[in-house]
Amino acid sequence: MNIGNLRIELEPRLTSPKWLYVVVPVGSLLCAFIVGGVFLALTGHAPIGTFALLIDRGFTSTRGITNTLGTATPLICTGLAAAFAFRMNLFNIGEEGQMYLGMIGSAWAGIALAGHLPGFAAVPVVLMTGALTGALWVLVPAVLRAKMGTSEIVSTLLLNYVALNLVNYFIFGSRGFFRDPSTSFPQGRLIEESARLTSFGSTRTYPTVIIAVGLAVGLYWYMKRSNYGYETSVLADSPNTARYAGMNATKLTLSVLLFSGALAGLAGAMYVVGPAGKVDPGLLQVGLGYAGIVVAALARYNFMAVVLTAVLFAGLREGGASLQISTNPVPISIAVVLQGAVLLFALGGEVFRRNRLRVRRVQQTVSV
Amino acid sequence: MSSASSEAALGSHRLGGATLFALSARHVTKRFPGVLANDHVDFDLLPGEVHTLLGENGAGKSTLASVLCGLYKPDEGAVLRNGTQIRLTSPRHGLQNGIAMVHQHFRLVDRFSVAENVVLGHRSLPFRLRTSDLENQVAEVAERFGLPLDPKASVGELSAGQRQRVEIVKALYQGAEILLLDEPTALLAPPEVEKLFETVRAMTKAGKSVVFVSHKLGEVVDISDRVTVMRDGRVTGSVARGEADTRKLAELMVGRDIDLSPRRSRAAAQDTLLHLDNVGLRRDGVDHISQVSFSVRAGEIVGVAGVSGNGQRELAEIVAGLQAPTSGEISINGARVNGIGTRNVRKAGLAYVPEDRLGTGLAPSLSIVDNLVLTRERGFLVDRKAALDEAEAFIKQLEIKTPHAHTATRKLSGGNSQKVLLAREIFGAGDNARVLVVCSPTRGLDVGAVEAVHKLLDEARAAGKAILLISEDLDEVLTLADKVMVLYRGSVVHEALGSEVDVEAVGLAMAGLS
Repeated sequence: MNIGNLRIELEPRLTSPKWLYVVVPVGSLLCAFIVGGVFLALTGHAPIGTFALLIDRGFTSTRGITNTLGTATPLICTGLAAAFAFRMNLFNIGEEGQMYLGMIGSAWAGIALAGHLPGFAAVPVVLMTGALTGALWVLVPAVLRAKMGTSEIVSTLLLNYVALNLVNYFIFGSRGFFRDPSTSFPQGRLIEESARLTSFGSTRTYPTVIIAVGLAVGLYWYMKRSNYGYETSVLADSPNTARYAGMNATKLTLSVLLFSGALAGLAGAMYVVGPAGKVDPGLLQVGLGYAGIVVAALARYNFMAVVLTAVLFAGLREGGASLQISTNPVPISIAVVLQGAVLLFALGGEVFRRNRLRVRRVQQTVSV
Repeated sequence: MSSASSEAALGSHRLGGATLFALSARHVTKRFPGVLANDHVDFDLLPGEVHTLLGENGAGKSTLASVLCGLYKPDEGAVLRNGTQIRLTSPRHGLQNGIAMVHQHFRLVDRFSVAENVVLGHRSLPFRLRTSDLENQVAEVAERFGLPLDPKASVGELSAGQRQRVEIVKALYQGAEILLLDEPTALLAPPEVEKLFETVRAMTKAGKSVVFVSHKLGEVVDISDRVTVMRDGRVTGSVARGEADTRKLAELMVGRDIDLSPRRSRAAAQDTLLHLDNVGLRRDGVDHISQVSFSVRAGEIVGVAGVSGNGQRELAEIVAGLQAPTSGEISINGARVNGIGTRNVRKAGLAYVPEDRLGTGLAPSLSIVDNLVLTRERGFLVDRKAALDEAEAFIKQLEIKTPHAHTATRKLSGGNSQKVLLAREIFGAGDNARVLVVCSPTRGLDVGAVEAVHKLLDEARAAGKAILLISEDLDEVLTLADKVMVLYRGSVVHEALGSEVDVEAVGLAMAGLS
């Protein structure tokens, strides 16, 4: 691009200095807030005051941050699920449905099994059952992909709609196992008390947050150091190389998709042992599965970064929602605009990490 | 080299008086991020001359050609046409000055006919195109320069050589006086190369000039009136026909003496390590490999020559255990290895360097360190510490040019990534792997890297490895192999000792005429 005799160019960087990994995301966040601020100003809200309130209610107040962590807990799991599959170039879009199935499976275990189990085993068994049903939900797409190369994008996405209708059927369409038999009001049957966790104090944060963060740390270490992590990275980079080295691509593909489904299922199970205690159609409104894909993309499929982006995302949502209750109520749409802006700028900021912006005078001098 | 001395070098071409160059570069400098691609380069082209611009990959020759044809603007310096400075703003502008470039990767529309491709982008076309007129014009230009082409043929169905002809006809049709050809022989079969040279001679007879941009010392040098050699962005010499011998040019290219003479084993070969007995591969009713028997002994290189697609890939994969043969026996170190899978074949003592180095032999986005552990036994955790030490030792020992051991292999040059691959397969597997299968190890590499790879293989032979060298480059097989076999349609049709090879017989066998 030329302005006068100044030429503005993007020049590819040969190496990206470390500080850029901090400056670019922070800069992107600032830009996103500026754009959000313009929206706020246009709609007659004071940008600075609104942001201060948003940050307070999403992050800095005790109540804000604990609400945020509560929402972030299953979001970390779906984010890990997406990151785990996507970094292998396996595009599991079905975290949403796998999460619903995790909710159904863990509720079943909580109702049918938990009563027969010793107290300390109830919660782990319920969580594991949720993870297992999440994995089962992705089994058919995974087999089709691993054996025949069928696109997992379409098959996992379509199963989301099946899962959604399954939940609706169990609660609204039938008087079956999952429905609360004690009332005619359509709601889920509560799981055994022994299979439920209590939140920290009067907050909405559950101990499951420790499991979620622990999983992120564990996966980060395991995929970096283990032979399994190594083989998946070779297969993701170059299937021919994996074949050359004698790796079993079918087995690897299958295992990655199944584990991704299990992580998403775990998100649903955490919702059951935590705040819900039952199959709750309320989960269908939140879209934590799809949000997990966004969180993973923002974190560039880095498991540790998933924790940060999930908390950021949850905080914007919590803070944004609570802005509706204030002296000058801000519609939830503004919070959504802000989320969209953060995502756009974060992805756009990549350009500046990979390239250097250069302004120079156009030289026309020629020496002959 | 200064312009004064380059004019002195031209003395034999023009007697007395001022020489009017068709095209010249004066002190051309072009920078890319982190690279000085052209550093005050001078270049002169006479009318009616065939001039080769020779240099290794990355020497800056393609950059210079791109500056001359108007694709790049030089940061400093000037381009002169018939002694007058021109400031080219685009390749189209270059064409208006009679300068055209044929790129290594053709820029044609597959679905268009030859005639449509040729006239594409031509400014002075009438509003209503009459296909038959265009076809006649195109055919006329093609015929004048001895370029047999059917103007009606669809470009998508043409061979690489024919597509190149379309590009050349296109340039000539649009009035090119100077033709720059980037690596023109890279994709051509030997008869096509000969035809290209006939065309070039027809063009120079008509007063046009041709510049070959090449990294190969072979055939292009033969028909050049002059060769200008570049290295590291600078011109290192300009040599007229007759004064150029391969060795001298190689030295100018690489900056040191290059040894490309044959290498044979110096010790008697020992016990047989790899043995194939009547091996065949039949798939979908087609024999990809049939009745191949041979053995490779410790301390020798057995070379397999042949035109690409005659079963080389299948043979390599069968030996490496990536495909199971449908008949016959393969043994390594006396143990039968049929169909036991590549991991077990490796355990039995095999190392394998595939033809496709980046994308099969190496994982391109992974680091040198990570690529070194690819074909080794790994426990639950991958030991990268040992691999890092090993990588650093290789980098030092084999002079692998890389910022560090954690650089992704795709960022390395072809020669350097090949060194990583060879190092892993030759040294990384330890003393256990004594059989080495190597496929086209120097394809696309420049002279210096070819020498390094050949030296490595020679040393591995001297260290007692049994090497099966499968290469489409006949010269390579003849340079290294103690025994030569020719593979034609999956069968061995010719065998000879390396020191007693009759090159003509091998050539005929490769063509299936023995």
